[in-house]
Amino acid sequence: MLSRVADSLFWMARYMERSDGILRMLKVNYNSSQDNLSDFSWQPVLKVFTYLEGPAIIELANESSEVLRYMILDKENGNSVQNIVIHARENARSVQDNVTIEVWQCLNDFYHLIRDERHINSLAQGDAISVIDVMVKQCLVYYGTVDITMSRGSGYCFMSLGKFLERALQSIDILDVKLGSMSAEDTQAYDTLYWKYLLMSVSGYKLYLKNYQSGFEARNVVHQIVLNTHFPRSVIYSLDHLHRNFEQLSAYLDKASFDELNFEIGKLRSKVRYSTLNDIEAMGLHTYLADIKKDLSDISSKLNQYCFAYS
Amino acid sequence: MIDPNNGRFTNVKKRYRLKLSKGFMQHTNIFESYHIGEGTFDEMYQGKDVRTAYQGIFNFLKSNSPEDLTMKEELSKRLFMSQGITFTVYSSGEGIEKIFPFDIIPRIITADEWDFVERGIRQRLKALNLFLKDIYSHQFILKDGIVPTDIIYSCPHFIREMHGLKVPHDIYVHISGIDIIRGGDGTFYVLEDNLRTPSGVSYMIENREITKRIFPDVLRRNSVRSVTQYPTLLHKNLKSLSPRQVANPTVVLLTPGMFNSAYFEHTTLARLMGIELVEGRDLVVENHKVFMKTTYGLQQVDVIYRRVDDDFLDPLVFNKESVLGVAGIMSAYRKGNVAIVNAVGNGVADDKAIYTFVPDMIKYYLNEEPILSNVPTYHCADPEQLEHVFNNITSMVIKKTNGSGGYDMLMGNSATEKEIEDYKKAVIKEPRQFIAQPIISLSTTPCYINGKLTPRRVDLRPFALFGPEGIEIVPGGLTRVALKEGSMVVNSSQGGGSKDTWVLA
Repeated sequence: MLSRVADSLFWMARYMERSDGILRMLKVNYNSSQDNLSDFSWQPVLKVFTYLEGPAIIELANESSEVLRYMILDKENGNSVQNIVIHARENARSVQDNVTIEVWQCLNDFYHLIRDERHINSLAQGDAISVIDVMVKQCLVYYGTVDITMSRGSGYCFMSLGKFLERALQSIDILDVKLGSMSAEDTQAYDTLYWKYLLMSVSGYKLYLKNYQSGFEARNVVHQIVLNTHFPRSVIYSLDHLHRNFEQLSAYLDKASFDELNFEIGKLRSKVRYSTLNDIEAMGLHTYLADIKKDLSDISSKLNQYCFAYS
Repeated sequence: MIDPNNGRFTNVKKRYRLKLSKGFMQHTNIFESYHIGEGTFDEMYQGKDVRTAYQGIFNFLKSNSPEDLTMKEELSKRLFMSQGITFTVYSSGEGIEKIFPFDIIPRIITADEWDFVERGIRQRLKALNLFLKDIYSHQFILKDGIVPTDIIYSCPHFIREMHGLKVPHDIYVHISGIDIIRGGDGTFYVLEDNLRTPSGVSYMIENREITKRIFPDVLRRNSVRSVTQYPTLLHKNLKSLSPRQVANPTVVLLTPGMFNSAYFEHTTLARLMGIELVEGRDLVVENHKVFMKTTYGLQQVDVIYRRVDDDFLDPLVFNKESVLGVAGIMSAYRKGNVAIVNAVGNGVADDKAIYTFVPDMIKYYLNEEPILSNVPTYHCADPEQLEHVFNNITSMVIKKTNGSGGYDMLMGNSATEKEIEDYKKAVIKEPRQFIAQPIISLSTTPCYINGKLTPRRVDLRPFALFGPEGIEIVPGGLTRVALKEGSMVVNSSQGGGSKDTWVLA
């Protein structure tokens, strides 16, 4: 496979994973903002998912519909869902011969859908949730289409690498911004709703209720998002799949590059797999997450260097 | 002339009769405003009668209300958009997706007409290919005085680097799109030979796909010949050119990139052939061999179907500024380590000044009379001919010999006096750069415009594939149509669109 093509597939998948993550997270936070929680603020979301700086964030912190417009449709916001979808489609467009026609058409449809000017009005005056739902559904169509139509060759693996790398980073970010800087005493102060929305924003609320019968505790939330192998958005789940997909690439990469990257990914996967909640607490959640994040970004730049270098 | 469709449509008529009895009267109004221009050959009507070939579609149109047809038209637009059969126009930093206008009414060519056109193209292509081989080797045709030497050496597309270069199977013109028009009496003429990187074949394929969706069953009932085999034929030819004797040679399609207006076509062809779509930056030349940069390392490339013009192909030989090509690719080509399709330097054979000599080439190389006629053409470089052109300028079209896309030409019948004067000055300055032709009144076919059938002018670009086993022409082509009222210019850059082209069995 051409290095440029691998690169584009990797980024196409990353962008799609990101738009799905952002949309779900926005939906939940918007819902939560309508509950009139006294302590609800868009600040953490804006901090993680936009390039805005201090004063701009404070200005927007309580303007729900403006936040939605900015984060979904704003053309100037490099990380708005619209721009992310445009990037995903541009990547797909340049490798149309390497994705199925169904995948291409799905992204193309998403592109036309999200550029529809009517959304601006609907977000502001209509039902914002309906607008987001239409887009989330388009992401689901994408996942299904990839699953059903793409052959399991190197292209699929590169897409999976992008998807799980992005997903791990997203879960880390969401957890870190909500919990990372809190001390154990702080965490006691939050009521159920806070945890509920945090879990919902990573689509993990139902699973939590089933698995952790003891009510809401920061420890359990951390466990689910970092260490629960059954939770498809947990860090360990993402790393497991990142590794598994990378191993499939052994036939498509030269041995030295493969071995080095395989070692790095395997090492990170083991590091998380053999962490306990006590280890994490001892290290401090924020430090722990920052460490994983650093490893992920090293892996990403090595992928760039060994697999995607073409110009 | 034996009509191959004689009797074939009787079933169709019967089938529609039931519907027609109800709908006939109120639906005929779409035909009301169909007025054929004087001295113009209309492809559907012969006087007041509908030609046999069009009878099937005529009945179909009659059985549909204008609302139905408008819905079909909208469906076709939607399909083009959602399938991404678009090109991007960049304005104020933002890309806008445009579709190449498509008219839903097919253009129909009978089996006899096609047979004639096909034989004509085969003959012409054979001669043009021999001409290229000759020009880049012994140049017998110049020595024998058939073609003037200065016209070759003054042609900007004559590539000296090609001299003495042996191309696989002596084929230069692997893919061509010869433009054909019909004059006032229906005679076919060759308007232009496109032997470099002719585009539009993806529209031949996609327009047919759209027709299948908007006119269910109609294709089958009319015995329309299929065009879907094109990519398979092309792929077979490309593989056969590999310099390395390996089971699965690496064939790639080289595109200038996604900002090119034909990018959709490049991706479609690569996908349909299952070959890699590469850009210049994906390739590298080492030791006179071309490689592509893959995740596994470098992989040797055997055949390049390039959609990059000669000028941009190799910055070491041609345009130094070009980043679209590959440095050193010409040296690999010269050594015979890679096949390039179409060959480099073909422009010397489709230059508009050389066009006039094609009938002579056919006689010289093949000892045959040309099947397809040329449009009479005057060389502005010849003072006598130039005088004739200037004296009759209002019935002439003057074109640049190396122009394309319908730009920079003068239509004498519609130009203002000032435009004519300005153009004359340009011609006098550099006469070699211009040719003139009497304005041919292109044939018209019905188009569905604003709820009415209206005649619009068309041309035809069939795509011919020249491989080691001979010339194959897929029955069909790109029909370009001048959608502006009264316009004779079918180029997409000048308000032209396209139609599905049916060749009947």
